[in-house]
Amino acid sequence: MTAEKSTSAPLALDRADARVKHEAGLSGAVRAFLDRVRSGDLGSLPVIVGLVVIWTVFTSLNPVFVSSSNLVNLLFDCSTVGVIALGIVCVLMVGEIDLSVGSISGFASAMVGTLWVNQGWPVALAIIAALAFGALIGSLYALLFNRLGMPSFVSTLAGLLAVLGMQLYILGSTGSINLPYGSALVDFGQLMVMPKWVSHTLAAIPGLALLISGLRTFARRRAANLSAPSVTGLILRVVIITVGLELIVAYLNQSRGIPWMFGLFVGLVVAMNYALTRTKWGRSMTAVGGNREAARRAGIKVRAIYLSAFALCSLFAALGGVLAAARLASASQQAGTGDVNLNAIAAAVIGGTSLFGGRGSAYSALLGIIVIQSIASGLTLLDLSSSLRYMITGAVLAIAVIVDSLARRSRASHGRA
Amino acid sequence: MSESPERSASIGELVLSLRGISKNFGAVSALTDIDFDVHAGEVVALVGDNGAGKSTLVKILAGVHQPSSGTIDFRGRAVTLPDPRAALTLGIATVFQDLALCENLDVVANIFLGNELSPLRLDEVAMEMRAWTLLNELSARIPSVREAVASLSGGQRQTVAIARSLLLEPKLILLDEPTAALGVAQTAEVLNLIDRVRARGLGVVMISHNMEDVRAVADRIVVLRLGRNNGVFEPDASNQDLVSAITGASNNAVSRRAERLRMERDHSGNAQAGEQRP
Repeated sequence: MTAEKSTSAPLALDRADARVKHEAGLSGAVRAFLDRVRSGDLGSLPVIVGLVVIWTVFTSLNPVFVSSSNLVNLLFDCSTVGVIALGIVCVLMVGEIDLSVGSISGFASAMVGTLWVNQGWPVALAIIAALAFGALIGSLYALLFNRLGMPSFVSTLAGLLAVLGMQLYILGSTGSINLPYGSALVDFGQLMVMPKWVSHTLAAIPGLALLISGLRTFARRRAANLSAPSVTGLILRVVIITVGLELIVAYLNQSRGIPWMFGLFVGLVVAMNYALTRTKWGRSMTAVGGNREAARRAGIKVRAIYLSAFALCSLFAALGGVLAAARLASASQQAGTGDVNLNAIAAAVIGGTSLFGGRGSAYSALLGIIVIQSIASGLTLLDLSSSLRYMITGAVLAIAVIVDSLARRSRASHGRA
Repeated sequence: MSESPERSASIGELVLSLRGISKNFGAVSALTDIDFDVHAGEVVALVGDNGAGKSTLVKILAGVHQPSSGTIDFRGRAVTLPDPRAALTLGIATVFQDLALCENLDVVANIFLGNELSPLRLDEVAMEMRAWTLLNELSARIPSVREAVASLSGGQRQTVAIARSLLLEPKLILLDEPTAALGVAQTAEVLNLIDRVRARGLGVVMISHNMEDVRAVADRIVVLRLGRNNGVFEPDASNQDLVSAITGASNNAVSRRAERLRMERDHSGNAQAGEQRP
């Protein structure tokens, strides 16, 4: 019906060119989606397909995997590395990399342990100091990159070692500091979950926000004589999202419920998604990642954009370290070492953020870390060693990068960015 | 608000004046001692052979390169152009030869890049409307402004780049090969557009290898050769004079005479070409 209405109305400003196919209505939206996928504009599709495969396999091997309590644990585990992966999305957007996020997260947790437990600082102050340190390290990378032209690959590799050394230094001979159980920080990392009514209310917000903004855009576009997407499709999307989220929340509420820490992570993802897609800063990030010289000639302060990307990445890494310390109730020499670094980078890439810059989304951190933690959790339930976990995660990462490269080539041959 | 009286009063006023501009890239002197003037309401064509320094001069004016020596006066004030933002703020808009578009962004995002409406909550509807208005003024044939620029053809990209230069209501527009990638109709539209821009009292600098286009719109033709000024011509100057200035043959009376004799020998083709020109 919407299709007929729009053809009988006077031609909209953006529909005057007869050569372009414009899909209208619901079936049109589906066709346009299939068209996009075929030409290599995959979006989050590969990661969602991958997630379904992984979950099906693990559930068939051990049904405990999809139990409510295991999934709640999964969400607790996702939040720490997920926040770090969110920072990685920022640097990948501008086509750079930060290899030192693991070290920075480890150092941040060590800082909180030392300042709070050993030196007796208020916990909030210790956290702020750790975050400030993170932002400082990122700014240093940006300085080296902007002024000296040092590739971020090398400067952050140097940072990886240097910051790891600092972590070992401040932890001293004891090697680990236990954070007190019962403190707010540890409770936040291990116990605190949302009351049921809060989680159900929060799950209703995305649909509501989508509905309101969608209707406003619809009205404004119509008023401006631009074509508008169909309202039916919008309402369908709102219903699917709301019902889906409420069902997930209800299922998780059967055991402990949604962790506040995961709520913080999702909140950060949504905020970053807004910043990347709906602000001038985010547009500049995408532009710098796509074509640095063009961005500079358009008057964008390219150096400031790089500074913000590196600083945000390290800031998120430090925050992830603080959350990890809360989750483990300790700050140790092992914090942030091993697979933290690569899990964070792998999460961003598996989630669909391109290694080549200029393409990505904050949601890739969320989706990617759920994939990685699902593998970890499933293999733990099967009582398999970490050796196998590394191999499987490595294979998934390789597949993700292959999909990215192939999709990029396909997009190029189909004339899409 | 202060713009309209300035614009109407300033026809013929000196907008841009370069004196003694030189630019070295290492041991190579791309530009040597260039003097260059643009008045309001005037189209100046910048012609020269490959490597003559045209694009370098445009990049200096756009703030992409900084001159090694020399002064730039813009609207009566001495200015420096340390970066592209400074040039844009002064009112110098540039369409680069390589267009400088971000292929991963859509048409609207490219047109408004660096000048987005409401920075903290991008006003996509208003930007899309303005984008269509600009593109329609250029009689552009862009299928959709929500497609990434990667999916557009060369001519369409050219139009997007020109639309972007007009967004900020500049005082001076620099066009580096604006018609090179365009079809017949779109070339005419761009030339019409240059006429319209001139009528609004803006200064236009146009680089082109197409003498026909240059003659069609230019008020003056400035020739560069090997990084130096090599003469200023009226648009009705003969093709031979122009070509000689561009290639450097005019400096030599003997070569000019030899050229003329050679032309007279196979005069038939050349004479026809001369008559065909409107």
